[in-house]
Amino acid sequence: MVHDLLESFIVMSVFFISLIIRGDKDEHAVLCNEDETYDLKIADTSNLLLFVPGCKTPDQLPDISASPQLVHAQIWGFSNCYWELRRQRPRLKKLKKLLMENPYDGPAVGMQEEAPGPKYTMDDLLERIQASREEIEAHLQNVHACEIDGFWRILDFDYEMKLLGHVTQLVDSESWSFSKVPLSVCLEELGSLEPKSMIEHCLNCYGRRYSNEDGQVIYALDEDKVCRATAQLLLQNAVKFNLSEFQEVWQQSVPEGMSARLDQLRGLALLDRSSKPETISLLRIEDLPEDTLERFNSLFSLREKWTQDDIEPYIQDLCGEKQTTGALLTKHARSSVQNGVKVYNSRRPIAT
Amino acid sequence: MGFCVFCSKAGEGPAEWLLVELQGEVVSRQNTGLAGNLMGDLHYTKEGVPVLIVGHHILYGKQVKLEKPFAVLMKHSGLPRDEEETMETNQENPTSYTVSALIKKKLIFKTRPKPIITNVPKKV
Repeated sequence: MVHDLLESFIVMSVFFISLIIRGDKDEHAVLCNEDETYDLKIADTSNLLLFVPGCKTPDQLPDISASPQLVHAQIWGFSNCYWELRRQRPRLKKLKKLLMENPYDGPAVGMQEEAPGPKYTMDDLLERIQASREEIEAHLQNVHACEIDGFWRILDFDYEMKLLGHVTQLVDSESWSFSKVPLSVCLEELGSLEPKSMIEHCLNCYGRRYSNEDGQVIYALDEDKVCRATAQLLLQNAVKFNLSEFQEVWQQSVPEGMSARLDQLRGLALLDRSSKPETISLLRIEDLPEDTLERFNSLFSLREKWTQDDIEPYIQDLCGEKQTTGALLTKHARSSVQNGVKVYNSRRPIAT
Repeated sequence: MGFCVFCSKAGEGPAEWLLVELQGEVVSRQNTGLAGNLMGDLHYTKEGVPVLIVGHHILYGKQVKLEKPFAVLMKHSGLPRDEEETMETNQENPTSYTVSALIKKKLIFKTRPKPIITNVPKKV
């Protein structure tokens, strides 16, 4: 716990100088530098560790074989234990949770002030989230958050899709190529419907920004991201869908010219090919527990047996440094063969 | 919520200390505690082998480069000791740690201490 670190000195296995310890009272302490997060674990040894400032080793002593040298060195202190750092994935689920307390759904209408609700600046987030600054910034991008009046806000999903709809409709009416969407025209045409900053934010989330030969800012829309968001919009309206019906509606809903493909939905939706008819339902990785054991329990409660291909997108982020999903499965699941296919189930009984 | 910032002393890098690792315990002869007492003598042989003499024991060790260096951190509490229990993030007096030293190598003494016998009775 963070309070356990309040000792007069601690010894740490570490290789950098500028560090921050983060954690609420009831959280385990993590240590962060600019772009990484480490778990702090106390390690003890039966050996005695003595710390001797300035004590020289043979290579540092002059080679005078003439007279023996006597140097007084003081032992500064001793310890049986020290803190070990282990690189870990940052705990970022809390970030989205905080931002979802007050999602942004557009500018205040008319004379109304925006409804009051918690808002967080970057400094607030740095204090509350157990991750490094760079990891936090990357995650803010992943969840399509944007800074409005100095506060980081996540967009209400319907509002985000409304913005995207404006953009794709404009692309269609102007007959632009998806990879050549000019920023200035978008802002001009859509600026009356929504704030320009929001239009630009939407383009940043769903496209890749670049400059053409004339120095104009252009966006290349990302087909996978657009189709995936469209799928989420459809899937969140019901518990399960008939797979073939869903695929039809989905293809009709995406901008004309874009291809909706099932592989775009990894980590977003789960297919059930064993049911008749085949079904699809929403299952987002961000809605699952962050802790490894809890994540596996949760997945096995949803479905008793998983193929590696199906479960992989939902455990990919749990892998430690140099760890594969295969290794994770070996550790946390039991495998068997069903109908000639290798499947994984829980190691322990799960209440479904 | 703990919010502690580590920083090295501005300007210079942290000092380098040496770690001496012993198996077992060191106790003072009359159980008077260790502080302020002479622990022993550290010698290096011509080959650079560290030799430690503690009381009437002699230990042979070796110098090892640490795979993961250590840092020794000193705490600077912004608040007087008794207020630490209720400490929340206090921006005016945040607790901070500075890196006092880095430890990149150690002398480890793993061999069994041998007693030094200086008075061997002569055979008559």
